Amino acid sequence: MKTYVARRLLALIPVILVVATVAFVLIHLAPGDPASIIAGPDASPDDVARIQRQLGLDAPFHVQLFRWYGRLARGDLGQSIFLRRPVLEAIVDRAEPTILLTLYATLIAVTLGVPAGVVAARHHDGTADQALMAGALVGISIPNFLLGLLLILVFSVRLGWFPVAGYVPLESGWLGTLRSLTLPAFALGVVQSALIARIARSAMLDVLREPFITAGRARGLSERAVVYKHALKNAMIPTITVIGISLAILISGSVIVEQVFNIPGLGRLIISAVLRRDYPVIQGVVLCIAGIYMLVNLAVDLSYVVFDPRIRYQ
Amino acid sequence: MKPAVLALGVVLALAAPEVVQPSEQPRTGGVLRAAMIGEPPTLDLHTTTAVIVQQITWHIYETLFTYDRQYNAVPMLADTHTVTDNGRTYLVKLRRGVKFHNGKELTSADVVASLRRWGRLATPGKAAWRNVEGVEAKDPYTVAMYLKEPSGSLLQVLARPNNGAAIYPKEIADGAGDQPIKEYIGTGPYRFVEHKPDRHIRLARFKDYVARTDPPNGPGGKRVAYLDEILFVPVPDVAVRLAGVETGEYHYGQQIKPDQYERVKTVRDIVPGIIKPAGWTTAVLNHKQGLMTDKRIRQAFQAALDMEPILAAGWGNKTFYRVDPSLMHVEQPQWYTKVGEDAYNQRNPAKAQKLLKDAGYAGQPVRWITTKEYEWMYKNALVARQQLEAAGFKIDLQVVDWATLVQRRNKPEVWDVFSTGITFNPDPAYNTGVQCNWPGWWCHEEKDRWLDAVARESEPSRRKAMWGKVQAIFYEDVGRVKFGDFFTLEVTRKELHGYHPTGEMAFWNVWLSK
Repeated sequence: MKTYVARRLLALIPVILVVATVAFVLIHLAPGDPASIIAGPDASPDDVARIQRQLGLDAPFHVQLFRWYGRLARGDLGQSIFLRRPVLEAIVDRAEPTILLTLYATLIAVTLGVPAGVVAARHHDGTADQALMAGALVGISIPNFLLGLLLILVFSVRLGWFPVAGYVPLESGWLGTLRSLTLPAFALGVVQSALIARIARSAMLDVLREPFITAGRARGLSERAVVYKHALKNAMIPTITVIGISLAILISGSVIVEQVFNIPGLGRLIISAVLRRDYPVIQGVVLCIAGIYMLVNLAVDLSYVVFDPRIRYQ
Repeated sequence: MKPAVLALGVVLALAAPEVVQPSEQPRTGGVLRAAMIGEPPTLDLHTTTAVIVQQITWHIYETLFTYDRQYNAVPMLADTHTVTDNGRTYLVKLRRGVKFHNGKELTSADVVASLRRWGRLATPGKAAWRNVEGVEAKDPYTVAMYLKEPSGSLLQVLARPNNGAAIYPKEIADGAGDQPIKEYIGTGPYRFVEHKPDRHIRLARFKDYVARTDPPNGPGGKRVAYLDEILFVPVPDVAVRLAGVETGEYHYGQQIKPDQYERVKTVRDIVPGIIKPAGWTTAVLNHKQGLMTDKRIRQAFQAALDMEPILAAGWGNKTFYRVDPSLMHVEQPQWYTKVGEDAYNQRNPAKAQKLLKDAGYAGQPVRWITTKEYEWMYKNALVARQQLEAAGFKIDLQVVDWATLVQRRNKPEVWDVFSTGITFNPDPAYNTGVQCNWPGWWCHEEKDRWLDAVARESEPSRRKAMWGKVQAIFYEDVGRVKFGDFFTLEVTRKELHGYHPTGEMAFWNVWLSK
């Protein structure tokens, strides 16, 4: 097991290198540059050129690329052009809201999605099943930014229960944080819960048709024990995989939701960086998110062991 | 104290009867939360023409001169000025006892260092500096500016808020050189406290602020910091800016969609404000390279267009646009002129077709860069394209993001037309709409001569006549294609008093009643 984890972690290095190169090349090939943004709309081309020189953006492409590799080797993601601070520091600073939002949204997705899937499977083709799956279809179809705006309209503007936007950091009280993240977490989580519900349902249906379930019922086990003890545990493997995938989707989904709800997280960081062509920040955040994806994948693979003792990693 | 406060109240009441009730007493205290469209790219006013930087930083920094309500230059940090040597030497006396936020007193050394840096780095500064021989400190409170030739626009350009000649302490201006400044210290009524990117920029009242004693008049005159703090919060989503003002989370929201105007008028507790004029919308033509270097093709472009539908598509509500040929707005009677109007809004596709035929145009695609980041730019372009294609043009509309647009427009080989807006300009001498060293490169010997003359001349009626010549050439030569004027919508909470909607956005002399 330990060697397996070590091997997987080592395998991160080449992937990181590829991501680093692709991120650098793509963003530098894209038109637009930070100097024009700093100089503003009325600036003359000479002013823009002067700022480019100051930023070192007049150097040839390969020189800039190797500078980037050099810094990366030293664990330095560089200096943000607009924030005037190290990229790593900016990322750490912005991680809190995004991590909390993602966890909160996952919690919502799982607590809504798994029971809904199980109930739907138990009442296969019944009214509850159809109602839940119709709900799930709506949930999957609605874009999260739209759901976000609708939630703001109802729960903030009409009812005044939650703030319209903004984020209260943990250090000023967790209740405030919870309040400020509730609407965005629902906007993100509801969509994912629909996905999880559908997978949980079909996984449950498959398991409920297995011979060991029939055997359990024949032995006179209560329906509760059959469904929750035996079937659910076996249906968890595909469900966990989907939860893992959805965690990753949530990280990228938070990009849009953070923009709508004005949450100063990684999503806002990368969007404003892209709009202003803050190259070091874009590269840094892309690398960071790629790393998180890979770690989540690893965690999902390892969690299979808990649910299915037959799985062994060597 | 009381009569002074009352007098101030009366002045404010006269200035904006729709906002301030005469019985209302200014109240000190409170934190104003302003929902801004985004983050400023820098807080160094010398280095950028981005409007949002001016809007935030002019609460922190002050300039030697500023504007009154009619956009005449009036002293701010300056006390008095005298012009000698046939208009070639300006002696500016500074107000005494003015403090920087770091406690240091303002002296001529700070002014000289700041003006030199501004003249070296700022776009309007560089333009003004072409005519400046030198600046020096005569004594601690007197600054001398020596010009190569007399100027009618020096005070105007020194009064400019956007990319303005902010006075920093000498150590900061000299210490930074051409690099961005690291400390944000000025003499303004509010001082910089912190910048948390994507969260807020926090300013607080500067308690040692030394205000002018003359009554407020536009940005000029006495400035009072009634608010304890101002928080500029970046709220990129327009719907969230409006919703936040409705619920009271923000007291101010900028750039609200005009189609919300009718609804906003009916919402309790919020007050719509219209910034009129905000600027004019335009298609900039490439005079350096490509199809548009042929005057007949430019004239065809101009002849084909029908402005009303172009503007209607961009703004929807008639309250927010105006079909008008003048490059300076009707609100600026000292500059407003209809010279050249025959060439504006011609709605004459037949004439365009003929011009294209004469020019031997054979359907080469006209590369037009536009952006959806400013929705009106895209919509203007969309309708204009239809009209142009009906007249025989072939338009290749390239929709990119704003960052791409502002970079590509510097490369004459990649475009023929791009969309932009020319923001409101108090003085035409530095209007980007007609400059030669700006993308589009509309350099025209006679136009540039008249433009120089406008900058030099100081007698108002002669300046206006000279500007009329520039506008005539603008239409004859088709410098750019003006679509029309536009105005912007912003919203404030009812408890915010003393605020006047202007493009510059000022929160001094503004207070919260709760």
